[in-house]
Amino acid sequence: MTKLPPARAETTEAFLVQSGPELAALCTECGACFNACPMVDYVNLRGADPRIVTGGLRRLASGEAAPEETVAWVGACTKSGQCVDACPQKAVGLDAMLLVRIAKQRAINETRQLPAKQDPSYFPRIKTFARLQLGDEELEKWL
Amino acid sequence: MAVSDNRVTFWFGCNMLRHAEMIRLSIMLLERAGYDVRAAGGPAYCCGTAHDHQPHGASNMAGRTVNRFNEAATKDGRGTVVTWCASCHMHMSDIMAPGNTVAFDITHISELLVASIDRLAPSLTVPVPRRVLLHRHLGFSTHVPINDRIASMLSRIPGLELIEGPALPGHMCSGIAAVPGALKTVIGQTWSAAIANRADTVCTIFHPCHREFAALDGRDNIRIRNWVQLVAEAMGIEASDAYVGWRNGAAPDIASIERAEPSRYQALIEPELRAPPLQVASAGIPE
Repeated sequence: MTKLPPARAETTEAFLVQSGPELAALCTECGACFNACPMVDYVNLRGADPRIVTGGLRRLASGEAAPEETVAWVGACTKSGQCVDACPQKAVGLDAMLLVRIAKQRAINETRQLPAKQDPSYFPRIKTFARLQLGDEELEKWL
Repeated sequence: MAVSDNRVTFWFGCNMLRHAEMIRLSIMLLERAGYDVRAAGGPAYCCGTAHDHQPHGASNMAGRTVNRFNEAATKDGRGTVVTWCASCHMHMSDIMAPGNTVAFDITHISELLVASIDRLAPSLTVPVPRRVLLHRHLGFSTHVPINDRIASMLSRIPGLELIEGPALPGHMCSGIAAVPGALKTVIGQTWSAAIANRADTVCTIFHPCHREFAALDGRDNIRIRNWVQLVAEAMGIEASDAYVGWRNGAAPDIASIERAEPSRYQALIEPELRAPPLQVASAGIPE
């Protein structure tokens, strides 16, 4: 059972705006999260300087543009979660995976360093799959 | 782990709607474990995690979904939301709850079923003589020890031999798909491990992985099954899999297509069902 945390903001949007700089302030740019990330190999970044990449991570989470390597790394986050335990600042409340997640959002919506991946057929496709398989009662009760 | 109230909401997410049988089997397993289940999913219960490019819209979706679960908790006594999807679970825990006032707790279906194994185990009587390789990801273990929970469930099935597959990046195959080349690599690693270990079944944990493996069903004499299907088999329950059939040449019946509207089926569904499978190396045949 996961006891959910108390609300810290009135919306998820407000929470993310607030949390980016808060988490970034806890980050020491040590590079441990980057070193632990299995996706680094998939985007050919193993030779990059972890401190420069994580320095960019802090800036990006606060809404500032980041180096190319940082953007490529956060863009390749697949939520493996290895960064969470690798982070020496975990004990003081730094959730490294959430920091990367926020940085990725900032790179899409604020610094525009990552393209927005929009799929207007996402919900229509799901609804069509539902109608293909569910009975009337299931459609009415589940959706 | 115990849930004090047996009334739960089963939040199956959005993309599970490709796999209606797996939703029904999950509900059946929860009911057999003693829970009163109300299922909820689809776009009206979207967590918003797939809409990072629309932070305001995603925030509204998250708020709406939390409000619906709050209402189920306060008016219908369903104070526990049982998750299926790793993305939904993490998004609720890490982002939706801190950004909304919640009146419920969450637990993953695997945790609830393992905690109720004493109720379920007596029903697992039908031998399932399969040599099963478990397709695993590294992610989500930050929130739920998912690989251990599923392995624990499968280990109770008589006749089933379990092999743990390689621990792959990501939390589900859907995340991996966004990184060029990565999906082909991780699917190939699982497939190679299945061949090397003489497995006759690859078991998926999550629906996006099942979706990716579906088109490989039968290749190298390896079948694709989800864990709820294997548990159902051990209960003597038929566990059909329409999506796997569709990805391998079958088509939905005409009445179902009519119901979904033929133009929508052709535009939205058929391209996915007819897409070529990922190319992975077969036994003795290099890619």
